[in-house]
Amino acid sequence: MRYLMLVLSTPEDPELRPEDAEGAPPIEQWVARHYGSGAAVLGDRLRPPDDAVGVRVRGSRVLVTDGPFSETKEAIGGFDVIEADDLDTAIAIASEHPMAHAGAIELRPVWPLNLDES
Amino acid sequence: MSPGSAVEDAFRTEWGRVLGAVARSTGDLDLAEESAQEAFASALRTWERDGVPERPGAWLTTTARRHAIDVLRRRRVEADRTSAAARLGERVDAGRAVGPAADPVPEEVTLALDDDAWELDDPDGDVLRLLFTCCHPALPAEARVALTLRSLTGMTTAQVARAFLVPEATMAQRLVRAKRRIRATGISFRVPPPELRAERVTGVLTVIYLLFTEGYDSWAEPAQETVGSAERRALADDAVRLARLAARLLDDEPEARGLLALLLLQHARRDERTAPDGSARTLAEQDPARWRHDEITDGLHELDVALAAGRPGPYQVQAAIAALHDGAGSDTSDDDRAARWVEILGLYDVLLTMTGSPVVALNRAVAVAEVQGPAAGLAAVDAVADASALAGYHLLPAVRAELHTRAGRPVEAATDLRAALELVDREGDRRLLRRRLAELSGVTTGHVVAPS
Repeated sequence: MRYLMLVLSTPEDPELRPEDAEGAPPIEQWVARHYGSGAAVLGDRLRPPDDAVGVRVRGSRVLVTDGPFSETKEAIGGFDVIEADDLDTAIAIASEHPMAHAGAIELRPVWPLNLDES
Repeated sequence: MSPGSAVEDAFRTEWGRVLGAVARSTGDLDLAEESAQEAFASALRTWERDGVPERPGAWLTTTARRHAIDVLRRRRVEADRTSAAARLGERVDAGRAVGPAADPVPEEVTLALDDDAWELDDPDGDVLRLLFTCCHPALPAEARVALTLRSLTGMTTAQVARAFLVPEATMAQRLVRAKRRIRATGISFRVPPPELRAERVTGVLTVIYLLFTEGYDSWAEPAQETVGSAERRALADDAVRLARLAARLLDDEPEARGLLALLLLQHARRDERTAPDGSARTLAEQDPARWRHDEITDGLHELDVALAAGRPGPYQVQAAIAALHDGAGSDTSDDDRAARWVEILGLYDVLLTMTGSPVVALNRAVAVAEVQGPAAGLAAVDAVADASALAGYHLLPAVRAELHTRAGRPVEAATDLRAALELVDREGDRRLLRRRLAELSGVTTGHVVAPS
């Protein structure tokens, strides 16, 4: 299965402990390991929400907004697309990411649209 | 044995294995349920006619597998037909907007029809994998408990609903959602990888313990007047069976055996937990002679085996505490009793260090009072009274009332009893608190001169 890993910073998480963040493995190690094995297929860091640009089409007019749609303290700082046999394999990969220790990872199973099947 | 009761017997012991085998091979819990049902229905028909097979479990699993394969073949044919029709439709529709694509032949159907997936004959492994799946932390907690009951004990959705006091439609929806989530998130029917195993074992044991608590609590309720009491009480038996299964399948986990010991040692007291008036009885009010001593012996043995591994954990310590309580019948003097409470307090100290739980701290306060007197006990209660986990918990003022009573302060005790009555939501405990209040007013009217 394919999963999108959203890498979140969660400054308001009450359970966040600095010692967890300090004990986190370096990102280079995670990248080398999981991109090296082919489990991770695509991913990168993202510019902060301030640099987000919203695009909507309403009444055939393209509306562009400056900044994110919703002002939340939680922000997506990066993403990775991973290929895993099952959820537990994906959880194991996610739990090794430094931001699982210093923030949170949200795993979203990909829901294939299958437009190119026939 | 008659064929009918042989099927009943097999249902109790084999349901989880049959379901687990199909679930593992197909990855489809719905199909597994349907196939297991079909196999048992078929057993009812044919065992009467042909006699009970030598290995009923193997017979049932084979029959369930055959049914699952039939269903999968039909699905594949249908999927082929639909995609052929869709391709045809596209040619007809050429030039118009592209409609939604037809479902392709699901990959898992092809995989499940692969013979290799069926070859492994590992009933214990199938049950264990099923247990880990039903207790997966990515499922909502209430769904884990319900799914475990449905999948491992063979209880019907209606029975599970009655045991949890929710309408059947609500429970059915909860189970459907959980199964959908298993598929959508990619939870597989496998034993978790080594780095996740310890935490998952804890998760499985928690589900079994929750299940037990649901059942065990109802043994301290007035049975006649409580809806679904029989179903709820039976949950405790189901939990004991599941704990026995977990202890056997997770042989390398002493906490699994510790949980089994704990459940056996507590459940042995069930017949004494309600007074004739439907009020709950405290431990001190129970008659140890009427506890189930064969079960206590069984529990003590399991505890010994667990402790021999030299890796203690919270369930083993709680079981050791339960074992000491179960020893109450052997006290021949006040000294015996006092010595028992010293040991209980020592174990609560250990348990509190392990868990840091305010509920454990409250129980420990009772042991402190037994060993060091009610004043020390009250101080220990006050030390945890502000914990948010105890907010609104009726046992906090109830324990305080008990200790005030023992310290000879009936007025404070009555105030706390009334506070506890405001909070209590269990009928058995409510009646116990009222009984205590009545006992107190007997004392106070005897000693206090009413103002003129």
